[in-house]
Amino acid sequence: MSSFSNLHTISFHKASFCEKKLLPGLTFNWSSRLIENKSSSLVCSVVSQDTYHVGLKIHHPTTRSNVVTLIDQTEEALCSTGKFGRFGGIFVPETLVNCLNMLVDEFNAVLHDPEFQAELAIALRDYVGRETPLYFAQRLTDHYKNSKGEGPEIYLKREDLNHGGAHKINNAIAQAMLAKRMGRKNVVAATGAGQHGVATAAACAKLGLNCTIVMGNVDMERQSSNVLLMKHLGAKVKSVEGTFKDATSEAIRDWVEDLDKSYYLAGTAVGPHPCPNMVREFQSVIGKETRKQAMEKWGSKPDVLVACVGGGSNALGIFHEFVRDEDVRLIGVEAAGIGIDSGKHSATLAKGDVGVYHGAMSYLLQDDEGQIIGPHSIGVGLEYPGVSPELSFLKDIGRAEFYTVTDEEALDAYALLSRLEGIFPALEAAHALAYLGKLCQTLPNGTKVVVNCSGRGDKDAETVFMYQQQQMVRRLVTLNGIGK
Amino acid sequence: MALSSSSSAASSTACRTQTYLPLHLRSHSLLPFKLNRVTPFCPSNSRCPPIVCAVTKMAATAVEKELETAARPDSFGRFGKFGGKYVPETLMYALTELEAAFNALASDHEFQKELDGILRDYVGRETPLYFAERLTEHYKNPDGKGPHIYLKREDLNHTGAHKINNAVAQALLAKRLGKKRIIAETGAGQHGVATATVCARFGLQCVIYMGAQDMQRQELNVFRMRLLGAEVRPVHSGTATLKDATSEAIRDWVTNALEKWGGKPDVLVACVGGGSNAMGLFHEFVDDKEVRLIGIEAAGFGLDSGKHAATLTKGEVGVLHGAMSYLLQDEDGQIVEPHSISAGLDYPGVGPEHSFLKDIGRAEYYSITDEEALEAFKRLSRLEGIIPALETSHALAYLEKLCPTLPDGTKLVLNCSGRGDKDVQTAINHLKL
Repeated sequence: MSSFSNLHTISFHKASFCEKKLLPGLTFNWSSRLIENKSSSLVCSVVSQDTYHVGLKIHHPTTRSNVVTLIDQTEEALCSTGKFGRFGGIFVPETLVNCLNMLVDEFNAVLHDPEFQAELAIALRDYVGRETPLYFAQRLTDHYKNSKGEGPEIYLKREDLNHGGAHKINNAIAQAMLAKRMGRKNVVAATGAGQHGVATAAACAKLGLNCTIVMGNVDMERQSSNVLLMKHLGAKVKSVEGTFKDATSEAIRDWVEDLDKSYYLAGTAVGPHPCPNMVREFQSVIGKETRKQAMEKWGSKPDVLVACVGGGSNALGIFHEFVRDEDVRLIGVEAAGIGIDSGKHSATLAKGDVGVYHGAMSYLLQDDEGQIIGPHSIGVGLEYPGVSPELSFLKDIGRAEFYTVTDEEALDAYALLSRLEGIFPALEAAHALAYLGKLCQTLPNGTKVVVNCSGRGDKDAETVFMYQQQQMVRRLVTLNGIGK
Repeated sequence: MALSSSSSAASSTACRTQTYLPLHLRSHSLLPFKLNRVTPFCPSNSRCPPIVCAVTKMAATAVEKELETAARPDSFGRFGKFGGKYVPETLMYALTELEAAFNALASDHEFQKELDGILRDYVGRETPLYFAERLTEHYKNPDGKGPHIYLKREDLNHTGAHKINNAVAQALLAKRLGKKRIIAETGAGQHGVATATVCARFGLQCVIYMGAQDMQRQELNVFRMRLLGAEVRPVHSGTATLKDATSEAIRDWVTNALEKWGGKPDVLVACVGGGSNAMGLFHEFVDDKEVRLIGIEAAGFGLDSGKHAATLTKGEVGVLHGAMSYLLQDEDGQIVEPHSISAGLDYPGVGPEHSFLKDIGRAEYYSITDEEALEAFKRLSRLEGIIPALETSHALAYLEKLCPTLPDGTKLVLNCSGRGDKDVQTAINHLKL
């Protein structure tokens, strides 16, 4: 194991599976895994074969509340049911079931495969550029101090520094490696803001796989720079009418047509099991690093974690590591668009109802007849009417809190971070940053807040430019009006 | 530590003994970059021998003599006959102050600690030394032999290029000197954005001078600078002047190299505009003559077209922007307007240290056309999923000519000086995707 001592950035410690019959006539082998001491740099695991029982020995603080117990039980049940409490599941046509079962097997296999893990660790380190820093934002911290000079300390987890410019690549490179291992030649993925498209195209180029990215025509216009990047990386970009939700539906349709040779690369923690689980596992490197870095920097855990929520991949990526640490507050920020009551938003957890979409049960923006409501947000990556089933679960049990931020607040946060720290955040991440405006005044002095800066905002410069032009015009008009 | 099958390093090199002095005793950079302790690479199946320090040999060749005799630069700021301080009297005081401050930093632990922290947490260093497997495969000959190609990933830095290394250090220096205002010039805007970025970070006032024509062509970069809080002032005289500040050594990659294959690189390749990224890569190894240094300039439409920026190949010695160096000038000593598809290489001068290294034969300089660069841009994107800056693409293009001449297993490190997001529109127009 000593050769892995530098590779602590990937330790898939939270996989628990059990041997059980999922569907009549279908059995598959799953093995359980005992994990110890996940905060150390070495992951020691003991693999044991257990039928129908899972023994999970987890090193945790002595008092275990109901919430944590519930989380543990849910994690155990996840393997056999694909559900997080009542959310998640495998709501797919029969044609897809076999494929998904194979995926589950393969995913389970790589979690126990030291060679795969070593190769992934090297890719994350040398190709993606991990570890990403945990950056103390001094000027932002000062900005939020009250008149007495008190306030929380704000740290940014710099996922914007990854290759491709967002957290998406953590998952894309791992799944592309998985696809290659499974002998698939063609990868298909759907993208909204384009970051997942770029990440997938890059990973496929690196691994020599064919790549098709499906993108809504509306999104292609709004995030055109990313479209160019995908084309340069050798991907075929397929346009569909609409936005990300429509692209997702089309990508799944594409995948079903050629299940043997195609691999559907999910970009966020939605879809039928095992997609949400896989994406969360591969993104959990964010939280693992954060724990280690927080310990190095201030000798303890963060107090509050803040992340934007579209599908939920970056939020789960940073939350997952701390889900059992009840002294760590988990805050997700969704898009309120034009306003939470305007009907033009993407605040699924705030305003949605439970339903089934893209293969999983979760909160969903739907009308009284159960039709999907078209969402809106200036942060294109947040514009999704559904949300991760796991986040729905965490909301229901009260483990995580969810709030919303409007387009304008996000655009202002973009400008603020640029001016104070010289960092352009993606408009999606800007939602998380905007929430600091409400959060900081409620926090005791010295609280350690970590915001997941999930992507860089170069792709949004034009949008912000136009917004600022409009603001200028509006100001001039108002001034003239007063003049009269 | 690469475990992929095509890396033969593990089996063939085993544990190399170090044949040069440990880093902390032999430093070329004046800046006290603190790096992790280096341990020799040892594959798990062999025992680690102790480190052996060899006594340095006496200068045997003219090159070594040149390199050993004087400090570089000397007290007059010269590299051989190049460099110097050709400035009006009014600037002398400021330059002397700057020089003194820069030298004082060598022993300033507080500065070192602060800079280290910023490079790590703000810029995102260390940047990886990435084994480009598919690019290496691409350049193998029919026998399956060829060099091993590694990319130093400066494209992963905050703001997407190596420029920020220098900007951050200089901003910190400026703060030390009690300066409140930073001035910079920019051509296409990359250096301007990097400067504005660090000024925002350090709360310094920032003024960027930019050619009026460039301001129109690079509206988005102008907007970015303003968003960062900088004032952008149009300049109506002259052409797009690209000014590269003193280059910074990128020393951490020496550690990377030792970790990866237990020795030094054999060949270093970098593009050359003003020369900062190339000097950053070369500097640590200038005295190691087993390491070949190759700089690639822009040949634009071709060396004979008159529309290029190949200063070291086609230029003559003269004084520009305060220093003596090679530069593109006509018979009347007037500056010739350079051309390159990449704005960052579009400069009629070159750093005086490069001129010196060329003259003494320590470094080799070649050139690459716009077309060749665009091909290389496409090639790296398709083979490795990394979109390089068009400047970097020049260095990558030279691999076409270089690789067939290199023995099997040669360790080649190329400085991937920036990412190419800024160039996608230009490239699309030319590549017709």
